[in-house]
Amino acid sequence: METIDGESFGEKYDLFVCLQCGKCTGSCPLSMRSQLSPRKHVREALLFDNEVVLDKEFLWDCTTCATCRLRCPRDLQPVEVIIGMRSILIEEAKVPATVQEALESTFKNGNPWGRAPSKRDEWAAELSLKSASEGAEYLYYVGCTPAYDPRVQNVAKSLVRVFKAAGVDFAILGNEEKCCGNEIRRMGEVGLFEMLMEDNVEIFENYGVERIVTSSPHCYNVFKNEYEGLKAEVFHYTQLLCEKLDNGLLKLTKELKKKVIYQDPCFLGKQNKIFEEPRKLISSIPGVELLEYDREKERSVCCEGGGGRMWAEATATGERTAETRVKEAVALGAEIIAVACPFCMLTFEDAVKMTGYEGKIEVKDISELLVEAIE
Amino acid sequence: MAEVFVLVEHRRGELRDITFEMLSGCRDLAKNLNASITAVLLGKNIDNFVEQLKSWADKILVVEDDKLENFNAEAYQRVLSHLIKERKPILTLIGHTSFGMDLAPALAAELGIPLATDCIGFELQDGRLVAIRQMYGGKVNARISFKTAPYMATIRSAAFKAEEPGLSAEVEKAPSPLTEEITTKRFLEYVEAAVGEVDITQAERIVAVGRGVGDYSDEKVRSIIEELANELGAVIACSRPIVDKGWLPKDRQVGTSGKTVKPKLYLALGISGAFQHVAGMSASETIVAVNKDPKAPIFTVADYGIVDDLFKVVPVLTEKVREAKGGS
Amino acid sequence: MKIVVCVKHVPDTAEADVVITPDKKGIKKEGLAFGINEWDEYAVEEAILMKEKYGGEVVAITIGGKESEDTLRRCLAKGADRAIRIEDPALEGSDAYALAKVLCAVIKGMEYDIIFTGAQAGDDGFGQVGQTLAELLGIPHAALVTKVEPQDGKAKVHRELEGGLEEVLEIQLPAVLAVQTGINEPRYVSIMGIRKAKKKELKVLSLSDIGLSPDEVGEKGSLLTLEELYIPPVEKMAEILTGAPDETATKLAGILDERGLIPK
Ligand SMILES: Cc1cc2nc3c(=O)[nH]c(=O)nc-3n(C[C@H](O)[C@H](O)[C@H](O)COP(=O)(O)OP(=O)(O)OC[C@H]3O[C@@H](n4cnc5c(N)ncnc54)[C@H](O)[C@@H]3O)c2cc1C
Ligand code: SF4
Ligand code: SF4
Repeated sequence: METIDGESFGEKYDLFVCLQCGKCTGSCPLSMRSQLSPRKHVREALLFDNEVVLDKEFLWDCTTCATCRLRCPRDLQPVEVIIGMRSILIEEAKVPATVQEALESTFKNGNPWGRAPSKRDEWAAELSLKSASEGAEYLYYVGCTPAYDPRVQNVAKSLVRVFKAAGVDFAILGNEEKCCGNEIRRMGEVGLFEMLMEDNVEIFENYGVERIVTSSPHCYNVFKNEYEGLKAEVFHYTQLLCEKLDNGLLKLTKELKKKVIYQDPCFLGKQNKIFEEPRKLISSIPGVELLEYDREKERSVCCEGGGGRMWAEATATGERTAETRVKEAVALGAEIIAVACPFCMLTFEDAVKMTGYEGKIEVKDISELLVEAIE
Repeated sequence: MAEVFVLVEHRRGELRDITFEMLSGCRDLAKNLNASITAVLLGKNIDNFVEQLKSWADKILVVEDDKLENFNAEAYQRVLSHLIKERKPILTLIGHTSFGMDLAPALAAELGIPLATDCIGFELQDGRLVAIRQMYGGKVNARISFKTAPYMATIRSAAFKAEEPGLSAEVEKAPSPLTEEITTKRFLEYVEAAVGEVDITQAERIVAVGRGVGDYSDEKVRSIIEELANELGAVIACSRPIVDKGWLPKDRQVGTSGKTVKPKLYLALGISGAFQHVAGMSASETIVAVNKDPKAPIFTVADYGIVDDLFKVVPVLTEKVREAKGGS
Repeated sequence: MKIVVCVKHVPDTAEADVVITPDKKGIKKEGLAFGINEWDEYAVEEAILMKEKYGGEVVAITIGGKESEDTLRRCLAKGADRAIRIEDPALEGSDAYALAKVLCAVIKGMEYDIIFTGAQAGDDGFGQVGQTLAELLGIPHAALVTKVEPQDGKAKVHRELEGGLEEVLEIQLPAVLAVQTGINEPRYVSIMGIRKAKKKELKVLSLSDIGLSPDEVGEKGSLLTLEELYIPPVEKMAEILTGAPDETATKLAGILDERGLIPK
């Protein structure tokens, strides 16, 4: 199989050393419910022509959680193979209609949600925040979902309150902000990703941005690990706020007598090894009892919100992982599922409704818990 | 005396509403132009139309020809250009319908007459005609003036009310100028959109979804809407983008290229209110709109509006409706 | 089959606020997202489907500034063979008739079997350029086309009528077909595809290149003059229920109940 740049998959992803041990497929949260099988796809990439991917609709099932990468004894990246296969589908225009719309909107509007760019800063209308042109220590990169999704807007609003309380000097890009491209690359749209990266790097340079703090682990991941030529330092908000907590600048005084369980976002935990900061923030709230899932941190289970899955209906059948996680949380006696990612927020909110646990358990972003503890 | 031509639109043996809307809507304008109103009726076996139109115009000009049996823009254009050249009406009005959109631009271009399409009103400014039309999906109105007379305009459906003036028209028959068969364009047949299980035109209550619902093939989205519809005993209809996506069948589409509905309740969710849509639902008894955009034109036709995300409102509404049912 | 498709680069105003410029002749473009006119997207797809089925060539044409090359590049990436953009300062203030004259001047010397246009543009909504162009070229046309089947020198064409009805026509080619949305499923075109298409020919022509004088276009060459734009007066406005979703939904349920609209 050849990548869209004409390299062989084998060479590019070093697939010849694959043992076909199947650890990747064994760890994949989708492989039990879908035809998705990283082991098999690695083999196909080595042995077959590009045509074999054309009817593989289930390639859109992959959440790019990268568990397969984590488990591989040969340090291979089956997830990148799948992304590479999606790129072939993209170039062949074999794209689910909803993915097509998300990509077209990102090209046209700078966000995958089909929303007008002029409405991007609407969530901040009454907050009188500094704009990047005024300069600040941190650029708060809001992200598409917190900017537009009515539920997740509350995360951005909460973060702003916590930042202010902790004395963080920050500014936002407002309507100049554009999609970071993390999901876009993972949907296989390499060209669009590169375009977004170039545009964003240029915008950050123009404003002399030195530090970026993000709401989403997805934006954090792409800025930190995949952006070429980005000079700024990148933080997920949980890192920044944990530092402020340690410095005594973030004071958590109000009591919240709740049992809280934390869902590790794949792009924060598994892929960037940030496990402690979010836990520390939660457990520093007076009165909170922090519970842990049986499978946590490196072993945590993906929410199925990444890799473009927000815009692609999976072929997978059976119970969604987020529903399983909600049930587990309830069984463990949790009253709140704390998340630190916009996609986890959306998949879990939905799973709470689907499992009928509304009123029994709540989904809150860590920023929303912090707001309750400072005011 | 000057004349205003109003082209009579009919299809499959029936006069279309736009005809009466134009005839009654242009009365004031005709008076100001010092003109009488002539209904121009082309077709075959159209005597019954003449009777129906008598009380609506000053004059009915009839051209009968076998070649005019079905609407054919090519044939109509030849007859009309002949009549206009010969009688020089100050203004010719044609419906901004599928029929008029096909016919008017080429006719105007042939005659070199200025044409304003999709007009919703007229004014006279220093003796010159000015048309009002909408742009940017109804968010902006434009005043457009005609450089020279005579004028031609196409009129949006339902822009004017049809009120019978009680006239008694003189009827004039003119010979058909069509000498040869029209070969460039030939009518073959009508095809009906497939009839589905539900007839939205018969529904008492309709929950209509538009592009604002996002991916309607998503089961979650669908079930949120269906639950509300169930509680309300309503049928689900939609705007065209939903049909274009293949998410609902064509027979659920409301609007000019879909169905016209007059339910007791029309609940529009995530529909902007483009006139092509509004034309198919504005006669509903009670109209409610939920839309995130406070400036969406749908709010100007709705009786009640909620400016919010429909996904926040609908689940609560479903719950409240359920309570209301249980509560009595 | 030789195919020409006319496209337009338009602002998306479905959600955005529209602000009228101080001269009242246009709207503020800053902050608006631009893209190919919705109807034209279907027209381009139909043109390319035809080419894929019958062979031949697709030429995409637009009238507009440099920024409209975005739209032409998309057409090229989707499969058009070459593109033409006409730009001239004298075009300012052109009405649909003048624009059709420009298209006619470009196209009349070309070979073509079908000219596709969108049935209307989402910005001005005139819905007349294609039909006017046909008249100027002296060829037949059909507006609101929902299906096209070419057959030796002719085409069987479906037109959308009101009320879910369609009419089927036989039309002699060459002809102008103004396409209605929903006629096909426009394909995705990747940014890489767009980049690759940069190698395809994109010609920029001025008025003199196409043999028109400035007097034939713009305000002078138009039959209509845009006097002013204004935000429509609100004739009737819905009673807006205010509050959080809980409150608004409760109020609405109350109103529906009062009006006897909840079946019991
Ligand atoms: C000849 C012709 C015939 C046509 N016939 C028809 C017809 O019969 N019927 C028809 O419907 N259209 C018809 N159209 C198309 C019409 O012009 C419009 O394009 C169409 O009606 C727009 O549909 P919409 O309101 O669903 O989408 P949009 O105009 O895109 O509106 C979507 C709305 O949803 C709102 N929204 C988005 N997200 C949310 C949310 N989460 N919660 C609440 N609100 C939200 C937005 O603010 C926006 O107002 C026709 C067009 C032509 C040219
Ligand atoms: S885990 Fe690694 S070595 Fe094992 S099958 Fe998967 S890719 Fe190959
Ligand atoms: S990234 Fe996650 S979902 Fe995708 S193949 Fe690997 S383990 Fe499975």
